[in-house]
Amino acid sequence: MWRYVVRRLLWVVLVVLIITALTFLIFFVMPPTDPATTFAGKQPTPELIAEIKHQFGLDKPVYQQYLLWLKNLVLGDEYGWPGLGFSYVTRTPVRSLLLDRLPITIQLAVGAALVWLCIGIPIGVISAVKRRSAVDRVSMGAALFFVSAPVFWLGLMALWIFWYKLHILPGTGYVSWTDNFGSWLSHMILPWIVLALLYAAFYARMARGNLLETLGQDYIRTARVKGLSESTVILKHGLRASLTPLVTMFGLDLAGLIGGAVITETVFNLQGVGQWTVQSVFSGDLPAILAVTIVTALAITLMNLFVDIVYAYLDPRVRYA
Amino acid sequence: MVGLALAVALVAAACGGGNDNENSTATTAGGAAQKGGVYRTAISSFGFTQGFDPTAEYLGLAFDFYGALLRNLVSYKHVAGGEGNKLYPDLAQSLDGVKSDDGLTYTFKLKPNVKFGPPLDRAITSKDIEYAFERLNIATLGAGYGTYYYEAIKGMDGKAKEAKPISGIETPDDQTIVFHLKQPISDFLYRLSMAATAPIPREVAKCFDNKIGGYGRYVISSGPYMLQGSDKLDTSSCSTLKPISGYDPTKKMVMVRNPSYDQATDDLRGNYVDGIDIQVDSNVDDIFNKVLQGTLDGSLYEPPPATIVRQYVTDPAKKQYLHSNSGDRTWFVFMNLGTPPFDDIHVRKAANFVMNKAGILRAWGGTTFGQIATHVMPPSVINDTLGQDFDPYKSADFAGDEAKAKEEMKQSKYDSNKDGVCDAASCKGLIMVNRNTPPWTNAEPVVVDSLAKIGIQVKPRELADHYTAVQTVKNQIPIGMDTGWGKDYADPGTFGAPLFGGPNIVPTNNSNYGLIGLTPEKQKELGIKVPAGTTFPSVDADLANCNKISVEEQADERTACFVEIDKKIMTDVVPWVPFLWAQNVTTTAPSVTKYEFDQFSGYISLTQIAVNNKATVSS
Repeated sequence: MWRYVVRRLLWVVLVVLIITALTFLIFFVMPPTDPATTFAGKQPTPELIAEIKHQFGLDKPVYQQYLLWLKNLVLGDEYGWPGLGFSYVTRTPVRSLLLDRLPITIQLAVGAALVWLCIGIPIGVISAVKRRSAVDRVSMGAALFFVSAPVFWLGLMALWIFWYKLHILPGTGYVSWTDNFGSWLSHMILPWIVLALLYAAFYARMARGNLLETLGQDYIRTARVKGLSESTVILKHGLRASLTPLVTMFGLDLAGLIGGAVITETVFNLQGVGQWTVQSVFSGDLPAILAVTIVTALAITLMNLFVDIVYAYLDPRVRYA
Repeated sequence: MVGLALAVALVAAACGGGNDNENSTATTAGGAAQKGGVYRTAISSFGFTQGFDPTAEYLGLAFDFYGALLRNLVSYKHVAGGEGNKLYPDLAQSLDGVKSDDGLTYTFKLKPNVKFGPPLDRAITSKDIEYAFERLNIATLGAGYGTYYYEAIKGMDGKAKEAKPISGIETPDDQTIVFHLKQPISDFLYRLSMAATAPIPREVAKCFDNKIGGYGRYVISSGPYMLQGSDKLDTSSCSTLKPISGYDPTKKMVMVRNPSYDQATDDLRGNYVDGIDIQVDSNVDDIFNKVLQGTLDGSLYEPPPATIVRQYVTDPAKKQYLHSNSGDRTWFVFMNLGTPPFDDIHVRKAANFVMNKAGILRAWGGTTFGQIATHVMPPSVINDTLGQDFDPYKSADFAGDEAKAKEEMKQSKYDSNKDGVCDAASCKGLIMVNRNTPPWTNAEPVVVDSLAKIGIQVKPRELADHYTAVQTVKNQIPIGMDTGWGKDYADPGTFGAPLFGGPNIVPTNNSNYGLIGLTPEKQKELGIKVPAGTTFPSVDADLANCNKISVEEQADERTACFVEIDKKIMTDVVPWVPFLWAQNVTTTAPSVTKYEFDQFSGYISLTQIAVNNKATVSS
């Protein structure tokens, strides 16, 4: 198994290298804006633009800039390890900006993931077990609604109802749980639920479909014939097998959110990675864009590896190869 | 059930909009000013151009913040209207007799007992002001409006490699500073009101003399407020400096009272609130909803969305909390004289006649957001000496006059059959650059339809980075509706040379969009092609004449001179279709007991507002 893990880790490194190189290339081929010109004032001279390019390191050939960035990433730069450079916009090390924002995004992603698992899977199981019942139809109808509803609309409506009209929850923004746990919870609960509803709907439909398929298998009939209770048949024999595809989906969804739930963060004014990504792209802040890219790429590739390992545990037919 | 509730809520929201009747509201809501409380506001992003370093930064909003953080030799009362554009001594003891008879020397005496805020807590001297000019002169710092000083002060050219004494600035003692000019500069005092000339402590800023925008995280206060956490700054060496906690460019700016500030030395600012708390909120609707709820005291930068404005203008109880003030800014459609068909003045005049400016204003959000512009300079910048009464392209209700436009087009070489509609190929498929955000996108169809009436068929290109597109001369963009111009300071000259001066045409960041005064040599230098036989009218001589007239002694004459240039541009040159003189719109909560607008910066006056909340600044 360890050989498998090491081999996969090497693949992770290769994938991240390719993705960052592509990001670099896209930035220089189709720049969102020229940071040097942006910084050069109202009536800049060519000398000034050249000077700013020099200060930002943008005067070197693209491949040299990439290699330098890579070297700093691996060996660290003057601001620590990993070296992610200096933001053109905030004039601070990107590393500290990332460390500042990543926890907020992780809180949003993990909280939402818990909510969608707690809502989606039970609803999927109940719908499968009570197939064609009123519960099934209402649940699947609601799932269809939430799958179709855009997150920004759900977010704005939730804010309008629960904050603006009912005054049950506070408005937008982020409060650290170390400052005030209650306030943190009340500020996070709406973003969690809004983000989770979309995923919960997917998971409910997936769980229902997979479980229905599993419950039609011969070994389930055998289990019933053996006289096992219905709950044991469904939860122990049916659910375990039907959940394995969901594990893959869950890993990738969660990892994707680490790269930032852009819309949810924007609507609820959570200053996480997603919001930062948008700001960085619009201001041409290449070091920040690269930092977000590498975090997202790492999260997805590593989570993929983790899921594959867990998959083999959940389904003994899968072997490391 | 939740889905049903949401659906019902959506219908309710859609039905609750009110009507479109919009009115301009009072400019200043006066009230009892009380000390204390915190002005809590939010912004979608700061968007500073040069990291908030006063030497280089030129975003208008930054000037609003600097008004609270910094003091200059001369400054403003930070109030609305003409009074807000008047200069007063701030760090200078007086402005009487500061200028020599030949206009080449300015001598200022500084007020005593004015100090830098924590952690320095030391007296501000003339050398701190001189150092600000030394920084302006450093090439690597990218001074946003450095040309104001390079052309004025002896020994300044913006090419210095490091901070070093400037031959045209003397500091005979700590309280005296003398400027020697290369030539008389009629608006020199205005230039000294700009934030880049405020005193800067060398002991801190020297650590950033080679990093553009670097000092922006370490701005030391000389004004009534300081960045929260300034007192924690360890200035013992450059390596111990860590960014001041009260300003995080992506999250917040929090200002608190500067304990070293002495109100007795300052009769320009009221300084009613104890703190100013500006949080970044990416959701603009949310900002205005929070103001309506009272969890924020007011908006700051973004114009309110139309749905929000409706709530204010249709509710008499709320109307007093919507403030609309002159932004000293003109929005316009530019036409590039170097590209067909706009090399023909008849086409440019026809475009002015045909434009449905009333339609643009409606799409823009109504009269709350502006007044229809009929010439270049906003009336507020020229002491209301020229308003809508001057309109060489008059039409009924500003809806455009198609008949007159066609009469004009008939005289053009691009209308071969003389039917008043351009029939040349160069009128088809013209790229028109626009912004990709409202209200520009809302107004775009009106502009497209208006021009189509005279056969000018434009293809709009809505770009996030629109300014780079239109300000790069080589791109030769024929027409754009994304452009606007606001004053740097309240002198009509700021609407002159940068927009219409031939020598001001530069390869990038060019704001002479029409290429007025382009010479063949400059054309060669820029590497652009223009239609054969194109003439580029010049107003350079007129600008030079007006710029000779003194701001201090002959303000009215100077204004009248620029007004004549404005008229000439609109009738003889015609590079623009000006359509709106902008109003800046702010909403406040009832907690704001005294609202004031800062005419210099164009935003709410942070040093003149008062609130009655009991809030404390966020940590």
